[in-house]
Amino acid sequence: MPDLRRARGWARWIVLGIAAAVFVLFLLAQRQSVAVSYGQSPSAGGRIAEGSAGELSAATVPSAEEMTALVKVQPVVRLPGAVARWDTERVGAAIAGADIRIIVAPPGLDEAERDRVRAVKEATVRVIGTQVTGGFYQSSHSTVPEWRAEFATGDVTATLVSLIFAIREEDEQLQPAAVTQWREPTSAELAPMVTGLRSTGRFTAPGATLTELPKAVTTAFPDRAPLVAALPRQPFGEPLPHYGRALQSVFPDTPILVMYGDWIEYSGPQAADFAELAAVTFYAQSGDRISRYAYPQRNVLGAYLGRVTDLRYAGLFERPLPYVPFDPVRVGMPALPWLFAACVLVFLLLSVRPVARPTSRWRPTAGPARLAALAALAVEQSALTGRSGDPALTRGITQLSAARAALDDNLPERHVQRLLDAAEAELDESGRSLPFPGYRPGEYLRGGPS
Amino acid sequence: MTQVMSLSWWVWPVGVVLLCAAGVGSVLVPRLRAASLERRVAWSAARAAIDRAAVSRDAAPVTVEEAERLLAEAELVVAGGGGPAAARTATDHARRADSMWRAATDA
Repeated sequence: MPDLRRARGWARWIVLGIAAAVFVLFLLAQRQSVAVSYGQSPSAGGRIAEGSAGELSAATVPSAEEMTALVKVQPVVRLPGAVARWDTERVGAAIAGADIRIIVAPPGLDEAERDRVRAVKEATVRVIGTQVTGGFYQSSHSTVPEWRAEFATGDVTATLVSLIFAIREEDEQLQPAAVTQWREPTSAELAPMVTGLRSTGRFTAPGATLTELPKAVTTAFPDRAPLVAALPRQPFGEPLPHYGRALQSVFPDTPILVMYGDWIEYSGPQAADFAELAAVTFYAQSGDRISRYAYPQRNVLGAYLGRVTDLRYAGLFERPLPYVPFDPVRVGMPALPWLFAACVLVFLLLSVRPVARPTSRWRPTAGPARLAALAALAVEQSALTGRSGDPALTRGITQLSAARAALDDNLPERHVQRLLDAAEAELDESGRSLPFPGYRPGEYLRGGPS
Repeated sequence: MTQVMSLSWWVWPVGVVLLCAAGVGSVLVPRLRAASLERRVAWSAARAAIDRAAVSRDAAPVTVEEAERLLAEAELVVAGGGGPAAARTATDHARRADSMWRAATDA
């Protein structure tokens, strides 16, 4: 019984503690806020600044009159330094005999030079670098294989065909979806690249313009420095050597960036997670500028790495997302009030129980039996007592009636027994004064007078 | 989340009030009950002592002024009521009066 009561007391305090903890948790949770990380990306904005970034090449164009004369003579005029190429069969089929004249200018022209090219009204289509414009239109690529072809080999077939159909005001016939032709690199191609990457982590092929790695490389790939191989623009119409795949077997678990001209191909860990997303967002946003200017490869790579950094801070890769997917406090929050209510209820019940039943249950006590026995003795004595024992007997009877009142009043057993002790002492005195033995309480209660 | 909170916000104030009430109650109620029991026990003892003293007075062959005064005082206290301390004073007075009358009776 005391064990149970102690356990109940402990449970009461534990429940109170839990309720207090839940309450404090609830109060603390009120100032929880969402942590936003995508605004803290340290990338330099990823923009490619006009003019200052070396995007203007040494190439130039003749005067507008000279170009007009050239265009009048030939349907396709390639100015010196032009890089754009296309599938003549498909473009020829799109032209279908119409008077379409194309002028192809080199990339990296300044504003005045571009104006001169635009001034050639006889040219229906202008290709500056790989940017294709004509009439009111500008045609752009929109898929990864198309961008890859444009920036790695200067292939503008798809944009040319679309633009020519638009100029001729005809519905475009369904073009075959662009597919990149890959080939395995030969060991002769691969060997110098592996040697260079192994010694410096960077390889610049003859004709490539990558002279140093941009700083963004550390924020884009904080865990492992990537290997960067830069190649010049690849010849048009030939399959691209897939260096990334070949290098991966030499350098496993290492991020590898291969630049084919202005195209950046990533291979390595988590390629499936972000490579396509990074390429699409980067070339969709910056492709237009890259196509008409002649940026050094370092700038293109820097802007691309800035985009990768943004993606990393946006919550891809292993970085936790800005919104926390599982937080026990947050998930358990709706249950907190009810947990608290349950604790309060249990505490209430445990508190009420002892208060509601102070004398836990009525238990038979020795009081009434002793009162009855002493009362019987008093009755016997009253018949025999003489003068000398009279006051003691009367006092004893008053104590007995006081004990009886106390019993009726549910007073504690100890008090009743004290009153009965006093009565017994008085009856003992009165019994001692009697001439007969056996009327003292000690003797009487043992067996009575015999 | 805020909606869930707004539906059940009343749980917190009500719970806190109930907790406080239960805590105060569980301390105060037993204390009050114990005090009441102590008072009743003390008065019961006082009445028993006064009854006994009255019997002794009736049995005494002589009048004891001091004892009469003490018993009167004890009866006055009982009539006035009060807490356990008053009851104990009455008990004490009645006992002293009782022992005086007994001494007078035995002498």
